[in-house]
Amino acid sequence: MKKYASRIYLCLVFAILYIPILTLMLFSFNNTESTANFTGFSLEWYIKLFNDENAFIALRNTLILAVSSSLLSTIIGTAAAEGIYRMRSKWLKNAVNSVTNVPMMNPDIVTGVSFMLFFALLVALLGIDDYDSIGFGAMLIAHTTFCLPYVILSVLPRINELGESLTEAALDLGCTPVQAFFKVKLPNIMPGVLSGMVMAFTLSLDDFVISYFVSPSNFQTLPLLIYSMTKKTVKPDMYALSTIIIITVFTLLIISNIKSFKKSDKVRRKKGGKA
Amino acid sequence: MAKLIELKGISKSYDGEKVIDGMNLYIRDGEFITLLGPSGCGKTTTLRIIGGFETADEGSLYFDGVEISEVPAHKRHINTVFQKYALFPHLNVYENIAFPLRLKKKPEEEIKKRVTDMLKMVALSGFENKSVSTLSGGQQQRVAIARALISHPKVLLLDEPLGALDLKLRKDMQNELKTIQQAIGITFIYVTHDQEEALSMSDTIVVMADGEIQQIGTPTDIYNEPKNAFVADFIGESNIIDGVMLEDKRARFSGHTFDCVDGGFEKNEAVDVVVRPEDVDVVEPERGMLIGKVTSVTFKGVHYEIIVDIKGFKWMIQSTDYVAPEATIGLYIEPEAIHIMKKSKYSGKFGDYSSFSDELDQLSDADTAEEF
Repeated sequence: MKKYASRIYLCLVFAILYIPILTLMLFSFNNTESTANFTGFSLEWYIKLFNDENAFIALRNTLILAVSSSLLSTIIGTAAAEGIYRMRSKWLKNAVNSVTNVPMMNPDIVTGVSFMLFFALLVALLGIDDYDSIGFGAMLIAHTTFCLPYVILSVLPRINELGESLTEAALDLGCTPVQAFFKVKLPNIMPGVLSGMVMAFTLSLDDFVISYFVSPSNFQTLPLLIYSMTKKTVKPDMYALSTIIIITVFTLLIISNIKSFKKSDKVRRKKGGKA
Repeated sequence: MAKLIELKGISKSYDGEKVIDGMNLYIRDGEFITLLGPSGCGKTTTLRIIGGFETADEGSLYFDGVEISEVPAHKRHINTVFQKYALFPHLNVYENIAFPLRLKKKPEEEIKKRVTDMLKMVALSGFENKSVSTLSGGQQQRVAIARALISHPKVLLLDEPLGALDLKLRKDMQNELKTIQQAIGITFIYVTHDQEEALSMSDTIVVMADGEIQQIGTPTDIYNEPKNAFVADFIGESNIIDGVMLEDKRARFSGHTFDCVDGGFEKNEAVDVVVRPEDVDVVEPERGMLIGKVTSVTFKGVHYEIIVDIKGFKWMIQSTDYVAPEATIGLYIEPEAIHIMKKSKYSGKFGDYSSFSDELDQLSDADTAEEF
């Protein structure tokens, strides 16, 4: 009886989570604009979507921004994690650690508004007439900043776990400190670096609040476009777009899960073999 | 042999606590030297200072006559075999060993030849493409040694390299390390807390305690002529008794005057007397120089370990003959078996086997002192 109850509960949770998404996916294949009746299967909305220049530009912008900000935040974040690890003073270490976590704890809306003010001030100070001319740069800085703590959070435990012994071995064998980092440390913390990058990518991909405050008129991302369209009536081509985004995110998630599953499986087998 | 490494007045503290205190030591070219001591004695720190992973607070370090105190680790002609091997998990066996050569951008044929030769030397031919994580502890150890030796360092530092291996493998590796050292003829600086390991492998042993060198000497010197109570107790088993040197070659302890072979002490100087458990003969009580009561007997395989109470001091004796507990026996000690040491700060701290006995009521030191 208890077993059934827990199963029913689990199904209920999944139903609440996924029925809205599945409905959206279903209606993206509808052949009419109706949101109440599924009248027949068609790819009409997908075709329409791919012919919609605005959506395409927004998608392109989103991807450019996600790729560049995730790369940038991964580089800066990994360097920062290494720097935090190297700090001698425990007090300073904790302080820096907390400070880097602030953008993560901060409500997005606060981060967004503060970025807006910051860039407005910057534009005024530098005497730039047109905000659009630094628009992409502003978006890149904002996205990189809010992704940064997630990268640090993902890399720092790896560095701590790896410890100093491999680096010392590399130095002992003739590496300069820089070579030791790139030839020995980086390959061994790579899983953490990559998962930080994937996390940064997905965060940048679906950010709306911060982009809303920072975006210039000439650089619109998908979430912003979708939002602007919801002000009018939502057309099923947006369902199609959302379906594509969901499938992309799901695929990324599954890939990273399979990777970490394989890894833990390997570790378990090794431990079993030793025992 | 020339001095290859020299430490002059090296001191090092962590958080205000002195780990090494004014250490002076020189190491000759081609010798197998062991830093031996209990954990926390400063031996690993000394090794890390020589390797360049720590900087001394005071003093200087010379290599081949040149000061290298400030030279970073990667510029020293010294390589290390780390306690936990520190193999690179992202590289296979071949690439791990080839790592130092690749750094120097050696041609591919040379790398291949040298790695193959090195693998042969450590008996790992055919393991080239294995991942290091699939190797056993002993095999990982060999890879670490091969990797450290491939760029022909002048000195190899070994930080308790056999600590993680089981007893049988450890013995095999001890022989193998010694063979390798003799074959290539470079200096090995070996750190261990295992006295047996130190005795069987080293040319020279440096016994350390509390950040200071207690004694430097060959294994036989250290075992037969320990300088103080600490060394006598740490290397092998020892009965260390308070005694008085009546004159040269005459010592009095445990209420009996013994002939011995040591001299050079002042008349009636208080000394520590060392008698190794295997050097004491068990005889009939009437023939014994000392008479005592057996408090415990433990079978150890090759011999019995007998604890005897003589005037409140518990002696350990190793004998191949069985003696019944509670029996009264006589002890006979040859003059050569008695070693006399000057008093030191370690006097009275070691060499009494009271804790081995079931009897917990011990006579106070004052009582035994009167019995001389």
